[in-house]
Amino acid sequence: MTRLILRRLALGVLTLFLISLVVFAAVLALPGDAATAILGREATPERVAALRDQLNLNDSVVTQYLDWIGGVITGSFGESAATQQPVSELLSDRVANTGFLVLVAALVAIPLSIGIGVWTAMRRDRPVDHAVSTSALVLAALPEFVIGIVLILLFATSVFTWFPAVSLLAPDQRAWTEPSVVVLPAATLVLAVTPYISRIMRGSMIEVLESEYVTMARLKGLPERTVIWRHAVPNAIVPAIQVTALQLAWMAGGVVVVEFVFSYPGIGSLFIDAVDNRDMPVVQTITMLAAAIYVVLNLLADLATIAVTPRLRTEAR
Amino acid sequence: MSSDEHDRRFDDWAITRRDALRGALAGGVLVTAGGVLAACGSEDVDVPTRDFGATSLKNVRSGGSLRVGVAGGGADDSIDAHIPATVPDISRVFQLYEPLAGRDINSDFELVLAESIEPEKGAEAWTIRLKPGITFHNGKPVTADDVLFSLRRIVDPKDPKTGAASISYMDLKRSRKLDNRTVRIQLKFANVGFPDDLGQYFNSIVPTDYDPAKPVGTGPFMFDSFVPAERSVFKKNPDYWREDMPRADEVVIIDFPDDTPRVNALLSGQVDAITNLPPGQIAQVKSNDQFKVLISETGGWQPFTMRVDQAPFKDARVRQAMRLLVDREQMIQQVLSGQGRVANDLYSPYDPAYNSDLPQRKQDLDEAKSLLRRAGQSDLRVELVTSPVFQGIVEAAQVLAEQAKGAGVSINVRKVDTGTFYGDNYLSWTFAQDFWATRSYLSQVAQGSLPDSPYNETHWADPEFLDLIAQARAELDEDKHIELLKAAQKIEWERGGLIIWSFSNQIDAYNTTVAGFEPAKSGFPLTNYGFGRVGFVD
Repeated sequence: MTRLILRRLALGVLTLFLISLVVFAAVLALPGDAATAILGREATPERVAALRDQLNLNDSVVTQYLDWIGGVITGSFGESAATQQPVSELLSDRVANTGFLVLVAALVAIPLSIGIGVWTAMRRDRPVDHAVSTSALVLAALPEFVIGIVLILLFATSVFTWFPAVSLLAPDQRAWTEPSVVVLPAATLVLAVTPYISRIMRGSMIEVLESEYVTMARLKGLPERTVIWRHAVPNAIVPAIQVTALQLAWMAGGVVVVEFVFSYPGIGSLFIDAVDNRDMPVVQTITMLAAAIYVVLNLLADLATIAVTPRLRTEAR
Repeated sequence: MSSDEHDRRFDDWAITRRDALRGALAGGVLVTAGGVLAACGSEDVDVPTRDFGATSLKNVRSGGSLRVGVAGGGADDSIDAHIPATVPDISRVFQLYEPLAGRDINSDFELVLAESIEPEKGAEAWTIRLKPGITFHNGKPVTADDVLFSLRRIVDPKDPKTGAASISYMDLKRSRKLDNRTVRIQLKFANVGFPDDLGQYFNSIVPTDYDPAKPVGTGPFMFDSFVPAERSVFKKNPDYWREDMPRADEVVIIDFPDDTPRVNALLSGQVDAITNLPPGQIAQVKSNDQFKVLISETGGWQPFTMRVDQAPFKDARVRQAMRLLVDREQMIQQVLSGQGRVANDLYSPYDPAYNSDLPQRKQDLDEAKSLLRRAGQSDLRVELVTSPVFQGIVEAAQVLAEQAKGAGVSINVRKVDTGTFYGDNYLSWTFAQDFWATRSYLSQVAQGSLPDSPYNETHWADPEFLDLIAQARAELDEDKHIELLKAAQKIEWERGGLIIWSFSNQIDAYNTTVAGFEPAKSGFPLTNYGFGRVGFVD
């Protein structure tokens, strides 16, 4: 088990290294550099030259990359080209806000979608099952920004004005001190991921409910509640865990769009901005972070699968 | 514009008008704003206009925190007085700092920190005298040393600031302080446009110990906090030199790079005013009585730029033909939702020297074809480089390509991202676009129509034009000065490289809980970012 984890972590680090090379090359391939991007319309030759000098953009590409990766190894993510602030300082508040948003969304979405999956599986092919399935498909087909805008129209501007339309936070304020700003963005994320998880859960639950051991449990005269939650769900949940991990990982990236719609002060808007500014240290750090989340979530999902699957559990030993 | 809309817009003037009329008559200033109103399709109403000063609104109280959503902004936001680049940057500059002079909401010249700016020796040297008793936010009086320090900081050759090119013709080595309140600035050549160049928003006066990390200026608000890409908070300057300003205790400027959240923040009451309402959303905002749309006719323009030193535009007949391809009315309807006025390939419409004697150029496909035939370019194919650098620019490029088909001209619209647009080929694209705010004619010429201008995209260097400008710069007699500038405009109208199809309206919106905003010709949003002049309604 420990060996498995260590091996996966080592592979993860290698993945991150390769991604850093690819992202570095991709940002370099974009036309313009931090100096022209920051100056924009004011990018006259004299001012571009002065700024390039200040930002060390005249160093060779290899030097720039080695400087950055050297910093990462020693625990420093460098300074943002646009703000001259240390990247870690720039990111800490934003990461906390995004983390809180994803956490709230996950804490609502996972139990909700598993519940819906189980509930509809038990009512298979009844009208209510069809209704839920259809709505889930519609939601899955809608892009997140459409869901977000509809929620804003319904609950913030046009119909009701219960929640803020835009998630404004003072710079030193964290999202959890002002929970109302999280409601609509989190609801958007919940509506975006719930269809996937609940449909997988419904499918695997239907399969399990038809299995012999469930019939056996029922024949034994166990109460239906015990049959479902003790016998069926633990066996049906494995595919749902994998999908949940993928959905959570998607959230770490897909949150960019949702943050954009609500002007939520998280890493999403920072990332869009950093790409616009060709701000290499910030782009690199955020991609590394997102990639690390993917790696870790996949690892956790595999571990969880092993934990709920007796056969794998004994093999892994 | 319907008269209904006009009425609503001027509802809050009912009180203002009466009070302000009294004030204005006392001061002997009364300007007819018929120009502004005529376009609203209404009867002429005398609307008093004052300087930058606040309107005396009876029902407006002091205090409160004014929250403003501004378009754009990002991690490269700056609070430095001398390098504003984006709308949020400029909005901050207007709160914290002030230049020596400026343009008021009617685009009339006004002295700000200067008490006088007087030319000598045929405009080759100028004496600037400061108003007495103005202090920086830290209590230090504004002195001649601060003026010289600020001007040097702007043109610093090692780190040229935004305004460097606009006043690079100062000879600071031969300029000196005369006394504590007076400086004498020597120029490298005569220029009667010098006061206007000093009056650009990016040429503010800062103290000799200026530190952008703890910014200090003379503006209506003082620095409190600033987080790039998010918000800045400024507190009321209790010692501000203009009377009755500022009204609010605090102003919070919040960045909104995207249109939708900005409009939503206004509609849900999270901000009190926003800049740059998309024309498509005017109706939606207006349908709610809680909000007012502020439409300002301005001298802002978004030209197509043709390089006059490169084929195919090297031939003046081709340039003429291109200008005749444009159906300006249609372009204004389609690109600006009607929020603009037809332009005549000339800029600076509010300059007293604006040449309105020239006939309005209209779409004339036959004449365009004939010009192209004579230039040997009957089946002209050109590439137009465009980028979403300003509202409506890309759409204008597409409409032009469509209209050009009528004369058999094929325009291939190449849309690039802003990084590419401002990348290595910036200022040397053969056929591209740009955007400009309201400026006086000579200041605009200095910015974009001279060989040493920072933004001369058309590479315009017509000897006859340059000669007229040099003469006009040294001409202190107003009539002769205007005559020379009109002649210069005629040359640009006949063979220049700019297609100027519209002067666009500035559209902003605010909540009726605040009052004091009014249309401004100068083209900066929300009454020249006049957050000091507005207050909350009781």
